[in-house]
Amino acid sequence: MKKGTVLSYEDQIHRLGRITGGAALLLLFAVPTAVCVYFNIWPPLQGFLKGLGMVCMIYLPVGLAEALTYTPLLGSGGSYLVFVTGNLTNLKIPCATMAMDAAGVKPGTEEGDVISTIAIAVSSIVTTLIILIGVIALVPLRPVLESPALKPAFDNILPALFGGLGAYWISKQWKLALVPLAVVVLLSIFLHLEMFVLMIIGVPVSILAARLMYKSGWIKGGE
Amino acid sequence: MPYLSIANSTLLYAIGGLIVLFVLIQSALFLRKAWKRGVEMGMDRQKLKATVRSSATFSVVPSIPILLGLIAMAPVLGIPFPWIRLSIIGSVSYELIAAGMGAEALGLEGLSDPGFNSVAFANTMWIMTIGIVWGLMFCVFFLKPYQRRLQNVRKRDAAWGEILIMALFLGLISSFLGPYVITFGIDTLTLISSAVIMMLIGLVIRLTKAKWLTNFALSLSLIAGMALAVLYTHLWG
Repeated sequence: MKKGTVLSYEDQIHRLGRITGGAALLLLFAVPTAVCVYFNIWPPLQGFLKGLGMVCMIYLPVGLAEALTYTPLLGSGGSYLVFVTGNLTNLKIPCATMAMDAAGVKPGTEEGDVISTIAIAVSSIVTTLIILIGVIALVPLRPVLESPALKPAFDNILPALFGGLGAYWISKQWKLALVPLAVVVLLSIFLHLEMFVLMIIGVPVSILAARLMYKSGWIKGGE
Repeated sequence: MPYLSIANSTLLYAIGGLIVLFVLIQSALFLRKAWKRGVEMGMDRQKLKATVRSSATFSVVPSIPILLGLIAMAPVLGIPFPWIRLSIIGSVSYELIAAGMGAEALGLEGLSDPGFNSVAFANTMWIMTIGIVWGLMFCVFFLKPYQRRLQNVRKRDAAWGEILIMALFLGLISSFLGPYVITFGIDTLTLISSAVIMMLIGLVIRLTKAKWLTNFALSLSLIAGMALAVLYTHLWG
């Protein structure tokens, strides 16, 4: 690979990600700013701060935990994109991880990064276009989307997605799955925890268990 | 001015259009960069094309419930702001909770409170926006050093680096499954059915050596799972 004045792929991705990510942040804040300035409506400071406190108490730790967990899996290019376009658990994570496996590449490698970025970029474009079509054609589409016949299908889209995703990966890596699965099921039965809380307990437990299994020689890399 | 005419104003639609354009351009830039790098590294073009095809196919069905979220928010927040929020970072579950917080902070009962006015709308917009930026903030400022550290772990012990990411992913998958395992309802049945279908697809792939089917395995198990959820609801719902 060329070094010196030519940036490496990794550095180019970080530069592109920081520029577009920064622009996305500006655009994001431009929306409420534009409306408040244009129509001259301003929320009272107290109400604003109270809402800010409520939302940050939950979503600041959620956002950071998500970033720490998802970025190693998705690689740099994919990460910059998903944290702009969202819909991680229901779209981008299943899409990118399955694409990497079908292409025979591993997350965390440069090939993995390339496939993950392509998968997430295509997925983002498709989702954005579908929402756009939905906004334009909301009136004719609405009765179809809200039809009682389809309701159970959409109500159960996450279990339908996670069942297949889980079966695929757990059967591939059952040794690594044993401990986190057992812990998460027990926690769900006895404490009825939210998915996010399960995640901040389940992920570190899973890594710790994997470390012990690796050290004891029960699992080896390169499978 | 009634607040819904602000919420459905041309200004907000125009900003929405701009943001959608931005998201499309950003995705296209990353797509081009990754594609070029893949070709440069000698990756098979067919493989890259297969990734595009399978990702596009898979993404259609899970995108539709996003529209249902939009319909749910539109009576209170208008169409363009939920459209913007769902096109950039947002997810349906987050938006509804955050929007409720924006209203509650002003002493309202929530989004359906009849007192929801233009001030409440402005507050809700700010709260929904600020609440969602943290993951992106992290990426812009800290992703590069964080990825460097992970690379160092891999350099020291490549095998462990690989297991670490796999363990992280399986911890994540376990937590996705957790909430549905214990309800013993239609959702649990759907989860199990979709898992069984995935195993059957895996078996077919192994027996027929149809490796290409892997690209569509998740789409197939998803749609079959949803169809069975309709059936189960008819039978026992």
